[in-house]
Amino acid sequence: MGRGQQFWRSVFAAGTIAAALLPERVHAEHPGEVFLDRYCLDCHDSLSEKGDQNFESLFFPVEDLGGLIETQAIIDQLNLGTMPPRDADQPTEAERLAAVASLTDEAVAARERFRDTGGQTTLRRLNEREYLNTVEALFFRRVDTLDPTATFPTDQTDHHLDTIGDTLVTSSFLLDNFFGAADQIVEAALNPAKRPEVRSWRFDKDFHQGQELSYSHREVYNYRYLCVYEVPNTVNHEGGYAGLEAFPEGVHAAGEYEVKVLAQAMHRDTHYDPEIFQMDFDEPFRLGVVSGDARVGKLHHPQPIEPKLAETIIADGEPEYYTMRVWLEAGQQPRFIFPNGMANCRQAFAKLARVYKKEWPKSDRFHRDGGIVQARRVVLEHGKMPHIRIHEVEIRGPLYDEWPPAPQREILGGGDFTSEHRRTVLERFANRAYRRSPLAGEVDRLVAVANARIESGQTPRGATLDAIKASLCSPSFLYLAEPGEKTGEKLSAVDLATRLSYFVWAAPPDQQLRKLAESGDLSKPATLKRELRRLLDDPRSEGFYEGFLDSWLNLRALGGMPPSRTDAAPYYHNDLESAMKEEAQAFTRHLIESDGSILDFLDADYSFVNHNLAKLYRIDFPYAVERREEFLPVSWENSKRGGLLGMAGVLTVSANGIETSPVTRGVYVLENLLGLPTPPPPDEVPEIEPDTRGTSTIRDELEKHRAVKTCAECHRRIDPPGFALEHFDPIGRWRDTYPAPRGKPRPSIDASGTAPDGSEFNGISEFRQYLLTQSEPFARHLTERLLAYGTGRNIGAVDRGEVDSIVSKVSQSDWGMQTLLEQVVLSEIFRSR
Amino acid sequence: MPSALGSNVALGATTAQTSPRRLVAIGNLLGFQLPYLMPKETGRGYETTRLLKPLSGIREDMTLYSGLDHDVKGGHFAVHSFLSGILQMDAKGRPDGNISLDQFAAEHIRGATRFPTLNLGSEGGIHGGCMMSWTRSGTRVPPIFGPRALFDRLFVKESANELAGARDRLALQGSILDAMTRDAHALQRRLDREDRDKLDEYLTSVREVEQQIQLGEQWVDVDKPEAPLGRPADRNMVEDLPLIYDLMALALQTDSTRILTLEIGGDFMPSHLGIKGGYHGLSHHGKKQDAINKLLVLEEYQLKHFARFVAKLKTIHETDVTLLDQTSVVFGSGMANGNTHSNYNLPVILAGGGRRHGEYRDFHRDGERQRLCNLFVTLLQDFGLEVDQFGNSNGALV
Repeated sequence: MGRGQQFWRSVFAAGTIAAALLPERVHAEHPGEVFLDRYCLDCHDSLSEKGDQNFESLFFPVEDLGGLIETQAIIDQLNLGTMPPRDADQPTEAERLAAVASLTDEAVAARERFRDTGGQTTLRRLNEREYLNTVEALFFRRVDTLDPTATFPTDQTDHHLDTIGDTLVTSSFLLDNFFGAADQIVEAALNPAKRPEVRSWRFDKDFHQGQELSYSHREVYNYRYLCVYEVPNTVNHEGGYAGLEAFPEGVHAAGEYEVKVLAQAMHRDTHYDPEIFQMDFDEPFRLGVVSGDARVGKLHHPQPIEPKLAETIIADGEPEYYTMRVWLEAGQQPRFIFPNGMANCRQAFAKLARVYKKEWPKSDRFHRDGGIVQARRVVLEHGKMPHIRIHEVEIRGPLYDEWPPAPQREILGGGDFTSEHRRTVLERFANRAYRRSPLAGEVDRLVAVANARIESGQTPRGATLDAIKASLCSPSFLYLAEPGEKTGEKLSAVDLATRLSYFVWAAPPDQQLRKLAESGDLSKPATLKRELRRLLDDPRSEGFYEGFLDSWLNLRALGGMPPSRTDAAPYYHNDLESAMKEEAQAFTRHLIESDGSILDFLDADYSFVNHNLAKLYRIDFPYAVERREEFLPVSWENSKRGGLLGMAGVLTVSANGIETSPVTRGVYVLENLLGLPTPPPPDEVPEIEPDTRGTSTIRDELEKHRAVKTCAECHRRIDPPGFALEHFDPIGRWRDTYPAPRGKPRPSIDASGTAPDGSEFNGISEFRQYLLTQSEPFARHLTERLLAYGTGRNIGAVDRGEVDSIVSKVSQSDWGMQTLLEQVVLSEIFRSR
Repeated sequence: MPSALGSNVALGATTAQTSPRRLVAIGNLLGFQLPYLMPKETGRGYETTRLLKPLSGIREDMTLYSGLDHDVKGGHFAVHSFLSGILQMDAKGRPDGNISLDQFAAEHIRGATRFPTLNLGSEGGIHGGCMMSWTRSGTRVPPIFGPRALFDRLFVKESANELAGARDRLALQGSILDAMTRDAHALQRRLDREDRDKLDEYLTSVREVEQQIQLGEQWVDVDKPEAPLGRPADRNMVEDLPLIYDLMALALQTDSTRILTLEIGGDFMPSHLGIKGGYHGLSHHGKKQDAINKLLVLEEYQLKHFARFVAKLKTIHETDVTLLDQTSVVFGSGMANGNTHSNYNLPVILAGGGRRHGEYRDFHRDGERQRLCNLFVTLLQDFGLEVDQFGNSNGALV
C-alpha cells in the first residue's frame, strides 16, 4: 500500500476531515482490506466505532500486536458468522471464506514476525494453595490443621486464573505474613526437641454446650450428655458443634491423639414428620471430629481452622465405644459434628413443641410465651429428638510411633548442630525448598543468619531453625523463577520439572522428577509424556482438578455468593458447595483417565454425583446407603442435563446466589466455554433493574433493554445462551416456571433464543446441540486455559498458531482429553520460558 | 451496656502540644435505600426523611451529599473502591495503585502513633465483603474483627517476656530480611528485564517491612494507655457495633492511632435485629415493600450508631477544641442501590473536621455529578497533607 493512502487513512482516523470528503478506499489491494472496506467499515469506522472497534487504521501487513489482535477478532467473528450483523449487507459465502483465508494467512505471518515479543511467563509467585501444598511436602506433615495461610490476603486472579505471574503481587503485608507463616510452620514441625509426655483426659459429666442449649440440658440431663443435633453449617449454631467446655486449654503438645467416645444414635426411627428435620433417616448417623480452639472463639461455633480429622458411624441402640485417631495441634481439642444431622435444630425444637403438643403431658403443656427456651426443654424431656448422644470422651496422647518424628528426622538428621552440621542441614533444606541446587551464596547467607542468631543468644538448634525460616522467605522459595536471557528460550529440564509438577500437583516435584530433571532426561518428549501420566495417577493430582476447574470455570467463587438460606436451604445442610465442585472434578477426572472426548463437557448423557447432589437433581441414587458420600456415575434419563451446563456448580456460579440473570449466565457461557470476551456495558445506558414483583419477567426487561440500539449490539450475543439456561434456578435445580410472586400466578419460562449465526433453539437440549457445532472455538479456549494455567501467563495472539495445531491434533484423536493434556505439556509454549 | 467513655478516663498518650488531625471512614456493603434517605429540598432547610431521623441530633455537625461517586461499575465487585476510587483490576500501572484514603494518609504520619491505622470490621460478605482498605501495592488490608481483638491491640500490655520475645522477633526478622535482600539481588542478576521488574515488588516489600520494623522497635518500649473498661467478649457485629464505636473513640482520644476505618459487611446479620432473611437476599428487594421495610430497619440501626459516635466525639475536649473538630468522619457505601447493584450516586455523609455543616448538597440534581475523590482530596488537605490529587479526582470539593 502506498504512503499516500496511509496518509489519507491517518487523517481520516484523526477525524479532522469530514467522511464525505474522503476518496473511496478503491486503492485497497489486499483481499482482506477489500472485504473490510465493503462490509465492515460502515459501522467500524472512527465515527461509529460500534462495539468499540475501529478498523480504519488496520493495515496489512499489520505492524503491531494491536493489529494482530484486531485481525484475530475479525477472523473469529467471521468464523462464527456473527458479523456482519444480519440486518446489514451480507457477503456471499465465497466472499466470507476468502476473507477468512486471507486474514488467517495474514495473522499467521504476523505471528511469526512478532515471535520474539510477548509470550513470556513473568516471574511467578506461589499462590496461596500452592504455598500450602509446598510447605506440606517440605515438612512431611499436614499443615491444614495450622493453616499458616489463614491471614494471607486473597490472591488476585486474571480471568479466574490464580497462577498468572503478572497478576500475583507481593506486598509488605504479604511478606510479613510469609515471615509469620514460616515461624509458625518451623516451630510446629521441628519442635519440641524432646518427646512430649503422653497424657490422658476423661470427661463423663458436666457437659456444657453454649448458652442456647444450657437451660434444657441442665433441666433434662443435668449436663450428663454431650449432644449433637444438626449439621455444622446453620445460621444459629446451637447444636452443630459439641466441644469440651471443661477443656479450654486443649492438649499440651502437637501429635496424634486417641479419642475414645461412648456414644449412641438416638431416635433414628423417629415418628415425627421427617420434613421438620430435612435429613435422611435411612442413613446411619455419622459422627465427625474437627479441631477446636477455645482461644479462637466459641466452641459451639464454626472456627476459621477446623479440618475434618476423623469420622465414624454410630450404631442405634445401646451406647458403644468408638476409637478414632486424630491429629491435634498444641492448644486444640477435638469437637464433634454430625454431618448428616438435621438442617436446623432450633427450628426443629420450635416446630416439634408446637405441632406435637398433644404428646406432651397435660401437666407440662408447652406455653407459647415460653418461647424457644421452653420448647427445647419440653421436646427433650417428653419427646424423642433425633441426635447423637455422647456419654464419655477419653483423650490420650500424643502418640508417636517413633521419635524423632519424620519432619525432625528428615530435615535435621541426627546431628548436634555444630557449624558443619548446620551447613549440611541448611544446604539440604535449601535444595528442596528452592527446587534446585542452591547457588553458592544462598547457603552462605542462611548459615550467616544462623550464626547471627547464635551470637544474639540462640541455641545452635534454635538458630538452625531460624535459618530454615529465612529460607522460607527467600525469593528462591517464593517464586518459580525461570532464569534465562531470551523470550521463547527452552526451559531448563529443572525448571520444566517444576512447571510440570505445579501444573499437575500444585506442589513441588518429587525425587523421581528431580532426578529426571537433573539428568536432563525430562527434556525428551517420551519421558515428559510418561511423567505426565505418572503425576496424573498420583493422588496429588487433586491439585490439578481443584486448581484448574476453580480457574477455568470460576468454581472458586461458589463460596463468595451465598444463595438464600430459605429458598436454597439444601445448599447449606447438604454441603452442596463442595459437592458441586466435586461433580465437575469427578467428570473431568473421568475424561482424563479414559481419554474421553472433551465435547462431553458440552453434551453428555452421564455425570458423577453423590447422594445429596442426586436429591438436588431429583434422580435416584442407584447405589448402596454406605456409598452415599462417593461421587458415582449416573446417566441422565432425559435431556435436561448433560455436560457442564447441567452441572449445579456451573449454574450456581453463573447466577448471583439470589436470582438468575440471562445476562450473567450468557456472559459466563461466552467467556468460559467459547472464549469470547464480552465488552463491559457502555456508559450512559440505563441499568436493568430486577423487578420480581411479577409485573414483568427478566425476558421482558431485556427486550426493553435490547430496544436500545447500543445495547442490542452486544445483548443479541449475550442473552441467548442465558435464556437457554432459564429453566435452572440459582442453585441449578430444574424449574418449570419462575417462583410465584406473592398472590400472583407463576410466570412461565421461555427458554428459546437465536444464536448469533441465526440458528434457533428452544431450551437447553437444543442449545447444547448448537454448542456442539462450536466444538473448535470450545477446544481452542480449553487449550488456551490449560496452557495459561500451566505456564502462568496469558495465551495471546502470538501463540495462536501452536494452539491451533494442538486443537487439530486433538480433533484427530476424537477430542481425547488425555491427548489434549499431553499435547499441552509437549507443546513449545509449555516447554519454553 | 455501660459506656466505654466515662468522664474520668485515664489517658495514656496525648502528649502533642496541639491537638492532631484525625480521619475516620465507615462503609457498609450493600448501600442504603436512597429514596428513604435523600430529601427533596437541598441546602440548610432540607426535610427529615425516614433515614435521616436517626441523624437529627447531629444535623448541624454533618453534610449529606448526593451525586458523588467514582464513575466505576461492577456491583459487588466495585464496592471495594469506596475509599480509593479505583477498581483493583485497574490499579496496575497507576502511580499510586488503588491505595485507599486511610493508607494514603497513614503514609504521611508514619511513626507518629503506635498504629499507623486501625482497620476494623467484618471480614465476610458477598465477594469478600467491603474490602475498603488497600495499600499502594494493591493488597487489601484485612480488618481487625470484633471488639475483643481491638481492645487487646489498644490496651493489653505485653509481659516482660512477650516484650523480649517481640524484640527478638524483630531482630530475627531484620537479619532474615538482610539475607533475603541479598538473595534477591543475586537472583536478579540471573533474570531478564521483565522478571527483574517483578522481583522489584519483592524488594520494595522488603524495604517497607524494614521500615515497619524500625517503627515497631520505637513503640515496643512505650507503655500502652490504661484501659477504661474491662476486656469485652465478642458477640456479633450487630450487638457489638456500639462498643466498637466506643473503642474507636478511645483509640482516637488516646492517640493510639489517628486513622480508622470500619467495614460493616456480611456478618451484620439481620437475625440479630430479629429480622428474617439474609442481608444480601433482602438487598435484592425487587421493589417488594416487605423487603425494603426490613432493610430500612437495618439501615436505621447503622445510622443511629453512627450518629451516636459523632455526638460522642463532640463531647470529648482537647485543649480548646473538641475531638470532633479535629476528626473528619466520612460515612457511606461503595454501593448505591443494592437492587440494581449500581455504584453510581453513592450515599455519602461527612461529619466533623471543623467544617461548616448542616446542609444537603445535591450534585446529582445540578447535573454536576462530582467525583467522590474530589471530596477525599479536601479531607486529605484537612488532615494536613499538601495534596491536590487523589485516586481519580479532578479537583477538590469545597
